Amino acid sequence: MTDITVRVNGAARTASAEARKTLADFLRDDLDLTGTHVGCEHGVCGACTVIVDGRPVRSCLMLAVQAAGHEVTTIEGLAPDGGLGPLQEAMRDSHSFQCGFCTPGFVMQATAFLSAHPDAGEREIREALSGNICRCTGYQSIIDGVLLAAQRAKAGPGGDQ
Amino acid sequence: MTQIAAERYTGASVKRSEDPRILAGAGRYIDDVKLPGMLHAAFVRSPLAHGRVLAVDASAARSLPGVVAVLTGTDLDAITVRGPDPLLAMMGAGASAPDYSLLATDAVRLVGDPVAVVVAESRYLAEDGCELVEVDYEDLPPVTSAVAALDPGSHPVFASLGSNVIGPRKRDEFGDVAGTFAAADRIAEFHIDVHRHQNVPMEGRGCVASYDPGSGVLTVHAATQSVHVTRMGIATCLGMEPGQVRVLAGDIGGSFGLKIGASREELAVAAASRALGRPVKWIEDRSENLTVSGQAREESFDVRAAVSDDGDLLGLDVSMVIDTGAYPVMGGMVPMIIEMMLPGPYKMAALGFESTAVTTNKASYIAYRGPWASETFVRERVLDLLARDLGLDPLEIRLRNVAPRTSPPAMMITGRPLTGVTTRESLERVAQIVDLPAFRRRQAQERARGRYLGIGLATFIEAAPGPRAPQGGGGLMGLESMRLRLSEDGILTLFTGQMPHGQSHQTTLAQIAADEFGVPFEQVRVVVGDSDVVPFGLTGGSRSATMTGGVTLHGARQLKAKVLDVAALLIEASARDLEITDGQVIVRGDPDSAIPVAEVARQAASGQLGVDPGLEVEASFDGGEGGWSGGSHCAIVEVDVETGIVTIERYVAAEDCGALINPAIVEGQIRGGIAQGIGAVLLERSAYDQDGNYQSATFMDYLLPTACEIPRIEIEHLETVPLDADVNFRGVGEGGMIVAPPTLVNAIEDALAPFGVRIYEQHLPPARILELIAKHAEGEGPAS
Amino acid sequence: MKLPDFAYEAPATLAEAVGLLGEHQDEASVLAGGQSLIPLLALRLARPAVLVDINGLDELSGVSVTDGQVAVGAMTREYVAEESAAVAEHVPLLAAALPLIGHEAIRSRGTIGGSLAHADPAAELPAVARALDAEFVVRSQSGERVIPAAEWFAGYLATARRPDEILVEVRFPAAGPGTGASFEEVARRHGDFAMVGLAVSLTLAEGTVSDARLAFSGLADVPVRAEEAEALLLGQEPSQQLFEEAARRATAGVDPPADLHGSAEYRKKVAAALVRRGLRAAADSASQDSARQDSARQDSAHERQ
Repeated sequence: MTDITVRVNGAARTASAEARKTLADFLRDDLDLTGTHVGCEHGVCGACTVIVDGRPVRSCLMLAVQAAGHEVTTIEGLAPDGGLGPLQEAMRDSHSFQCGFCTPGFVMQATAFLSAHPDAGEREIREALSGNICRCTGYQSIIDGVLLAAQRAKAGPGGDQ
Repeated sequence: MTQIAAERYTGASVKRSEDPRILAGAGRYIDDVKLPGMLHAAFVRSPLAHGRVLAVDASAARSLPGVVAVLTGTDLDAITVRGPDPLLAMMGAGASAPDYSLLATDAVRLVGDPVAVVVAESRYLAEDGCELVEVDYEDLPPVTSAVAALDPGSHPVFASLGSNVIGPRKRDEFGDVAGTFAAADRIAEFHIDVHRHQNVPMEGRGCVASYDPGSGVLTVHAATQSVHVTRMGIATCLGMEPGQVRVLAGDIGGSFGLKIGASREELAVAAASRALGRPVKWIEDRSENLTVSGQAREESFDVRAAVSDDGDLLGLDVSMVIDTGAYPVMGGMVPMIIEMMLPGPYKMAALGFESTAVTTNKASYIAYRGPWASETFVRERVLDLLARDLGLDPLEIRLRNVAPRTSPPAMMITGRPLTGVTTRESLERVAQIVDLPAFRRRQAQERARGRYLGIGLATFIEAAPGPRAPQGGGGLMGLESMRLRLSEDGILTLFTGQMPHGQSHQTTLAQIAADEFGVPFEQVRVVVGDSDVVPFGLTGGSRSATMTGGVTLHGARQLKAKVLDVAALLIEASARDLEITDGQVIVRGDPDSAIPVAEVARQAASGQLGVDPGLEVEASFDGGEGGWSGGSHCAIVEVDVETGIVTIERYVAAEDCGALINPAIVEGQIRGGIAQGIGAVLLERSAYDQDGNYQSATFMDYLLPTACEIPRIEIEHLETVPLDADVNFRGVGEGGMIVAPPTLVNAIEDALAPFGVRIYEQHLPPARILELIAKHAEGEGPAS
Repeated sequence: MKLPDFAYEAPATLAEAVGLLGEHQDEASVLAGGQSLIPLLALRLARPAVLVDINGLDELSGVSVTDGQVAVGAMTREYVAEESAAVAEHVPLLAAALPLIGHEAIRSRGTIGGSLAHADPAAELPAVARALDAEFVVRSQSGERVIPAAEWFAGYLATARRPDEILVEVRFPAAGPGTGASFEEVARRHGDFAMVGLAVSLTLAEGTVSDARLAFSGLADVPVRAEEAEALLLGQEPSQQLFEEAARRATAGVDPPADLHGSAEYRKKVAAALVRRGLRAAADSASQDSARQDSARQDSAHERQ
């Protein structure tokens, strides 16, 4: 067991954990950030996606100790006080999700992708999200939410809502 | 219909009340539950598909620091009551189940069969402990296919049953089968296989059981489709009074039929908590979920069809075998639903049906979204095969055979009336949307250029809940109950036994209640997931739109009447002249008279009016006139004949699920079901080798469709035939999954028609497509 | 599926890292991107006593171009290589393959060296390295070795790396003018390991093939060079007929594995289709590159006037 300090959602967080503990488990168990979900533990489903130093990362494929010294953003860190940011609002308006288990992974992946590719069209968005699995929706509503968020971001603060 | 001044919520895509927490990562799923002093469980599992357990030595595991206890199959057998699976028991078929211990004691019957549970300070340590438990097994010959199980020489999976044939049903006949077949112009014969695949929700099974030795109450946090069924299952297994068990459920990450009642692992964890007097958590990992949680659909059908030369499907004679795996859940009950639904919305005059259920050393056959779906697959495949033989268009053969909508309604030969069925309309509409003739022209042009496009149609009806049955009741478990309460803060609370796991009941039921009672949507709260508080209920069988929508509608009206009776005393007007609009009780035509409903509740609670202090009703609903859901789907595909890759170019659904409560939610359910159907055909297979080793145990091998495999799905809502004065919402949860597989397979066969391919199976990965093309090229005739 | 216990080391220098491997030998596993190793640990299929995490070795990251070679540090993240202008310009085959590796989140952490040291025969990078005759630079306490691709891939998940060695760099030849590349694959889904994949690099000089490289993934335990097909192509003008004959030669002797996703027969058929498609794409891309080079020469000639 070692003390691990990671910057999560802008704050330094410290807890004691074994080196073999994944970042996903560390976030959930030791930092009580249960918004990040574990769906497969072998890096395929994407439910555990967080953002590390601006890049989307599967937190089940990183050890917690490896995150020390890096900036981690989880779904809890996207909007102040547990509210909804613009992407989340657009997803709400689009009825993007059903059971919600895959949701944090999609939101983080889409957040990272849109900030790097604000002009992406449907095809690129589908490819970018093809590493996140949803069993409930058939994806169309999720794609619509991301497209709506992109459209609104381009329209700017005074644009149509 | 109720006339209210406020904007109507029902029928609108109201934003979900679940979403603020879901989108913020503030949902509370089973693995988010943390209790003080909580321990973690992991299971020691059999590496063999079939074997005797000779000895279990847990001493090394027990000595591992951090391991608190190891309970073997024998330990648990001593502190639990043996019995059938809770879902099987609830369906009334428990008596047929063989005797077996909760965890394996004498025998292991599938790879992954749990033999012992290790309880430790963390899941990591519990898994370390599992590796230290030594189990001596003696191999027994595994039975890994239905064909093997049918052999009387096969080693019985359950010694006490003496055979692996567990469900030989007598033959049933409807109509004059012999006469119909004798008089038919032609008899066509087919053997059709549906492959094993499974639910795979993104969240697996799990529970946190917490026994309080002081009170003797066992509280179980569960992921379940019904807190009451889970409660009963746990109480029965632990030999406790049901009142001493409380089941709580929060957000659930999908289920599709997986999480009903309590699995052997969950029961073991509950027993462990009671034995240790501490909370114990078990969260299934993905390997466990894929390997042992349960699988479905492994069925085969020998079909004889009596046909006229003009394409009338006069009758079917079907013999079915279902592979129910090892420990029985509800697989043995599926054939009778298939039998009942086989005629579908068609005019068929005769049906012969028999089925055999077998046990094998594989995962249990469990409920998976539309468990009877193979009836639609078989029927819609057969229609296309017949059409191809007779030179008829697939639309043509269906329109020819659809039962007309008459009054009184036409009867399915198996006994249910086809009341309000809009199959003809949905077939015509979907054909119109895709412009079938234009597609045929394009198909011919593309074939000349070496591209293989195909179009497939299929239609279905689903008893969601089905037309009113003469004896009343609304399908699975009959009456739906609800408690509705208006509290002093003006909040209308609905207590329902529904247990949403993606169905958005907290939104849809609030929409109906808001409309019927007269409060804003935000003033309604839906309480689910506490067996101490909610009435009996189960979310499943596509029942909730009608049953729970209906009880909400009628219950809200009943409560409104009660509230208005009290308000009449306050306002000194006749209740007849009062209305509730926008949360205010008003005298019709006199807006200044408004008093908030909260005030009425406060006055009632004060005791000064001499009325019941609590404004509450207990309502129940039997389904009303009920009705069928249904629809027709159409897919256009392209098959790359060099690689076998199938691309879906277009997918259209014309559906009729009655009145829509929330169109966005309805469409989400339909698309999700279709995605699972597409997954089944192109990607998903629960594969075993001949020794019973499970081969699809990770997401590298059990492949789920992603955003690149599921196209945009166009949905058209048909105008429905209203049957009931008030409740015309019908269930839509299962339809997509029922009809998408034949839609897609029909399209693929159409694309490969130039190669003479005929398809008699549901799983068509790229390699199989090339095999089918090659087989037909070699002139081997129908694929074997 | 929780990871088993291991001793964790995070060396700060390469010297420290090779010291640890020298001490622990095959009891140690090297943790680079973790996208292949951590799943194996989670499934408890890998049980190293010591995990040597080399993510702190910044000196092993980076892409540099010298003397007709592109040196890629072993710890270069796949996404960094994907975004690298040097890779896009000088190793078009690598650039073509990178976006096919898994998904974006995998490429955030996965490394060029890690993938090549893991040597999954279904992966894209081993086929690329084999096609281009890349060189593998390994370091141990005794010094450095350079191993050619033909010797690097030893078997299923096995390479010529000794237990006390770390892969530090992979060197790819820079593509000459008139080179076109393609990576074609058939996978069950977008982003999956391919059932069969094909790396193709073709160089055209005056309309005929002056260099041809073809290497398959998914046909054997190691990437498979299609040398007979390459020999056929040399000196020839690209044509449909030529590609079909190349496809026949490339797949005549292959004996692919069978698994849940495809039979041996299936893989063989698909391999042939990929040759036809891959050669066409590479030839088109090579022509475009030739045209671009000619146009650039004319532009600079104009400028000199």
